[in-house]
Amino acid sequence: MNGFSTAGLDPITVEVTRHRLEGIANEMQSTLLRSSFSPIVKEGLDASAGLFTADGQTLAQSCSIPIHLATLIPAVARILQQFPPATMQPDDSYVLNDPYCGGTHLPDIAVIQPIFVQGRIIAFAAAMTHHQDMGGLSAGSVPTNATEIFQEGLRIPPLKFRDRGVVNATLEAMIRQNVRIPDTVMGDLHAQVSACAVGARRVAELAEKQGGNALTTIFHELLDRSERMTRLALAAIPDGTYRHVDWLDNDGVELKKPIRIEVAVTIAGDAVHIDFAGTSAQVRGPLNCVPSGSLAAACFAVRALTDPKIPTNGGCFRPITLHLPEGTLVNPREPAPVNARTSTIKRITGTIIGALAQVLPDRIPAPSAGQMVIVAFGGRKPDGTPFVTGDLIAGGSGAARGSDGVDVIETDATNCMNLPAEAAELETPIRLNRVALRPGSGGDGTWRGGLGTIREYEALVDDVSFTHRSERHFSAAPGLFGGAEGARAVSVIHRADGQQEVIPSKIVTRLNKGDRVVIETAGGGGYGDPGLRGPGAREADAADGKV
Amino acid sequence: MASYEFGIDIGGTFTDVVCRAPDGSIRLTKVPTTRGNPSKAMLAALETAGAEWQVPAGAISRFTHGTTVATNAVLERKGARIGLIATEGFKDVIEIGRQMRHQMYDLVLHTETPAFLAPGRFRREVRERVDAQGRVLVPLDEASARQAVTELLAQGVEAIAVCLIFAFLHPAHERRIAEIIAAIAPGLPVSLSSEVDPAFREYERVCATAFDAYVKPLVADYLENMETGLAASGVPATLQVMQSRGGLMSSAIARQRPVRLFLSGPAGGVVGGLDVGLNAGFRDLITVDIGGTSCDIALISDGMPLIRAEGLIDGFTVRVPMVDVTAIGAGGGSLAWIDAAGSLRVGPESAGSEPGPACYGRGGRRATVTDASVVLGYVDPQHFAGGMLRLQPELARQAVEDTVARPLRLALEDAALGIHRVLNAQMAEAIRLVSIGRGIDPRGYALLPLGGGGPMHGCALAEDLGISTIIVPPHPGVLAAAGLLGAPVEHEVAAAFPHACAGLDPALLRPALAGLDARCRSLTEAEGLAAEAVEISHAADLCYIGQSYWLDVPLRLEAADPIGEAYAAFLAAHRRVYGHAPELPAKFVNLRSVHRSRAGSVAGGIGVRQGEAAPPGTRPIRVRQSATPVIAAIWQREAIRPEDRIPGPAIIEQPDTTILVEPGWTAQLGPGGALLIRKEARA
Repeated sequence: MNGFSTAGLDPITVEVTRHRLEGIANEMQSTLLRSSFSPIVKEGLDASAGLFTADGQTLAQSCSIPIHLATLIPAVARILQQFPPATMQPDDSYVLNDPYCGGTHLPDIAVIQPIFVQGRIIAFAAAMTHHQDMGGLSAGSVPTNATEIFQEGLRIPPLKFRDRGVVNATLEAMIRQNVRIPDTVMGDLHAQVSACAVGARRVAELAEKQGGNALTTIFHELLDRSERMTRLALAAIPDGTYRHVDWLDNDGVELKKPIRIEVAVTIAGDAVHIDFAGTSAQVRGPLNCVPSGSLAAACFAVRALTDPKIPTNGGCFRPITLHLPEGTLVNPREPAPVNARTSTIKRITGTIIGALAQVLPDRIPAPSAGQMVIVAFGGRKPDGTPFVTGDLIAGGSGAARGSDGVDVIETDATNCMNLPAEAAELETPIRLNRVALRPGSGGDGTWRGGLGTIREYEALVDDVSFTHRSERHFSAAPGLFGGAEGARAVSVIHRADGQQEVIPSKIVTRLNKGDRVVIETAGGGGYGDPGLRGPGAREADAADGKV
Repeated sequence: MASYEFGIDIGGTFTDVVCRAPDGSIRLTKVPTTRGNPSKAMLAALETAGAEWQVPAGAISRFTHGTTVATNAVLERKGARIGLIATEGFKDVIEIGRQMRHQMYDLVLHTETPAFLAPGRFRREVRERVDAQGRVLVPLDEASARQAVTELLAQGVEAIAVCLIFAFLHPAHERRIAEIIAAIAPGLPVSLSSEVDPAFREYERVCATAFDAYVKPLVADYLENMETGLAASGVPATLQVMQSRGGLMSSAIARQRPVRLFLSGPAGGVVGGLDVGLNAGFRDLITVDIGGTSCDIALISDGMPLIRAEGLIDGFTVRVPMVDVTAIGAGGGSLAWIDAAGSLRVGPESAGSEPGPACYGRGGRRATVTDASVVLGYVDPQHFAGGMLRLQPELARQAVEDTVARPLRLALEDAALGIHRVLNAQMAEAIRLVSIGRGIDPRGYALLPLGGGGPMHGCALAEDLGISTIIVPPHPGVLAAAGLLGAPVEHEVAAAFPHACAGLDPALLRPALAGLDARCRSLTEAEGLAAEAVEISHAADLCYIGQSYWLDVPLRLEAADPIGEAYAAFLAAHRRVYGHAPELPAKFVNLRSVHRSRAGSVAGGIGVRQGEAAPPGTRPIRVRQSATPVIAAIWQREAIRPEDRIPGPAIIEQPDTTILVEPGWTAQLGPGGALLIRKEARA
């Protein structure tokens, strides 16, 4: 097909194949997002798809949010361990969600399909989706008060979901019976299966053109190339060990106890080692994070600190090593709860990047709010049908040398859309009364931190289960080089009878008709001496209501 | 009475003029676009063309126009100072947006929302609230509205956008605010969200509304100047303007809704492509317009351009219907470079027009796709762009040698082939993503390459995508202007119609559609169209309950069970686009009425003027199918006769493009003067 150049590993064919693989991953992702049902996928884009080599290395991944980077790796590894490739058949699909068996947290289900060429597996297609509900203590399956994984929802060990294209009816019935919105969950799960089928078909077509062996050789060459480029970029960062500490508010159970995150980032030549010694022991509540989460954080940090033009694949991750002491927040023992790990990953990401701010002052901004508030509402509509909905809310980004932070924007490991007020009220008995910037919340500085936001929700029916999981209520985003810290987050429940309850960062409670929740997210840190803020900037901020 | 029809498309570099004479023959010309006053530039172009072709102004019966004035106002941030009025609690929605960032791995972030349209100081709230059922929760506090308007006027706003929560279900409050504005400041341009974009999701709606207000004064002035200028020149025709969704409307109506003009230019290209395709006998087409820095991809399905409900302007979401054009950063000027691991990469950085490709001799040293084309022998350096620019092949060779061949230890021509292969792979993946994402298998489609660069890549793209027919229009470079003459006059009105399919009384549809039809009819009547010349079609947006993205399906009131039929059509569309379609409850989201009056085709008259028959020359070129040079026949397009069959390898030259016929493909003239390049059946 490609004439004279198919035989060897010429650089042109390698690059052409890379575009093919990324195109396939994008096509899988497009299938996944467009065919899913739940708001968290449609509006939150909390899903990703990718291709893996036969030995489980990431070949190409399309993710709308970086938290999915690298998180499918342990899932693929675990499936390979449980189901020897020799037993796999075309159109088989495997699933799992258990964090202690290769998953991340229970709402994330991984679907994996082997890709066969001439009777041999040459790659895997995989898709991961955050499902709107997986059963357990509370609607949305992110109970901030869980103390064991058993309370967090249905645990799915590595299992076969389709056998040569035939869906495992027993497993499907099991899942349907254990979740609050079975049609939505199954719709999203089938979207994952479709995405993997697309990937499998297209890789097989590619192999038909290029030959399976040639393709496998190219896969490995692509991984090696990304590794080389990542190492070159890491070598440009001055060697040394850089330390940083930041905090999470609490674990959702022991509300007065902040959680310490400590990293020592060692740049040694062309490799990076991140040691989490000094990080809190594992906690009772669900802020624990299985190792794949810290790997995702490290991968994001390395991607952001090196050259964004480097094609993302498993080669980029090879120069990274982690020390994750067992029994700590970042490597908990079963059956510690883990559903709120997103907050932990975000803070770990910020902490790793923050560690390098002293040595890369031009490239690294002041810390961002680094929070993504998750709220979940569940109950029954006036007509008796059940509903579950959620929202994901950002704070402000940190200011950088030369520019103010950005107001209300997703940073670091997540990148989710918020829920439109009109979408919420059209579908569920939840009304938003206010969506506003939070004046004065950005940390002052030569360059000001970005503002947080204010959102007010009102329950329109009685007996709504309500989960709120936030951060930065008890520790602010610090300023950098003399800049001031951003405002802390504040959330208050205003009961219909006039009583007010301040939410201590995390809560699971019930709302009745007329109860309102006012959420104010944190601002980003300022950068540089506030006394040096440029002329006119303060006047403009005042006129536009930013201070 | 002799009557001439004109189409003028003003692009960034060239203004294209197309004229259809009373005998149906077509003439076209290209003049440089002059900066400054675009309406003057257009009148000058008209004058030149009129004089050259001896067309009396009084004989011009139709005047159609594609304009970039709305887009440029945004790109250059030259729109009006606008005020924004929102429901209490929601004035910051336009600045908060959806909180997502596009550059996921950047550490230093930048604002993603079009807050520049109305910074905080120009935003006001009014007390009022409507609920999700369209019921009034809080009546409009007119005093707060009057105060907001008065304050904004005191700040010097030149237009006001009004976007209230759930106004698409209950527009009365927005309309009342418009009355209040009119009373205080008669004539001030006002844009209401319930008219600009009557659909749910407040951020997307406020953006469309604010963009409308932002460009309104400028577009109104521009079109008014143009109307006045035409009248002063003695042209009796009313000015018709191309809308983003590929239909024309009179400029008097276009002025009211300028947000619908953002893709006025590209829409002309798509309609022109459709016209060429239909004349060649193809209803399913993929158009690929390859220019210097970008490649625009659009799909035409069953004779209709795909329309999308929202698009991007300067990176910002604008939710108004527009032809579904996707741009990627790949074109003739894309630069080739070697990354740190020794891979050949092409684009997205471009040499632009300055310095341009190395072979332009303007100081460019890095290899571009065009340089590779010179090295491969595709482009005749002496006759590039009709001889307007003399290329320097030695500079192209030097650049490809220095930037690609030597670092990769490749032979010069292999390096040039590599540049093409990498670029083609990127474009093919983009076309595949665009088509598959819309549920379309490209293999059943014909490829219509446009722009100066398109026809050189047609065979490679078609082969990659499994496409067996390529249609090269007679004049790929002026297709947008030709499309203006071929486009229908079209008016589209939509309204929210949030009802579950189950238990919906079909009787509810009739009055809702009648209301939309009445609004369309008043628009077509204002155009002076006879009722019998207008085709009416209805459509509905449906989605599964709980799903927030909808699909557009036809709606036939005359059907026995219009709702059941729409539901079935929704399931079919869902299966096509998403691969599955469970029979779950669905709901209506919007209803839409489209009134359209077909214009005549132009493609028939626009064929290449037949020149002297001349035997083809030859020259060696390199193609990816062979490891050594091959001898290609070199044809001039005007010399091709209907009976000629041109097997690859061959090059066909014409002033506005170069066509590469690869081995395994054969070119032949088709109906309407298009060149059809077909894959040869395997022996």
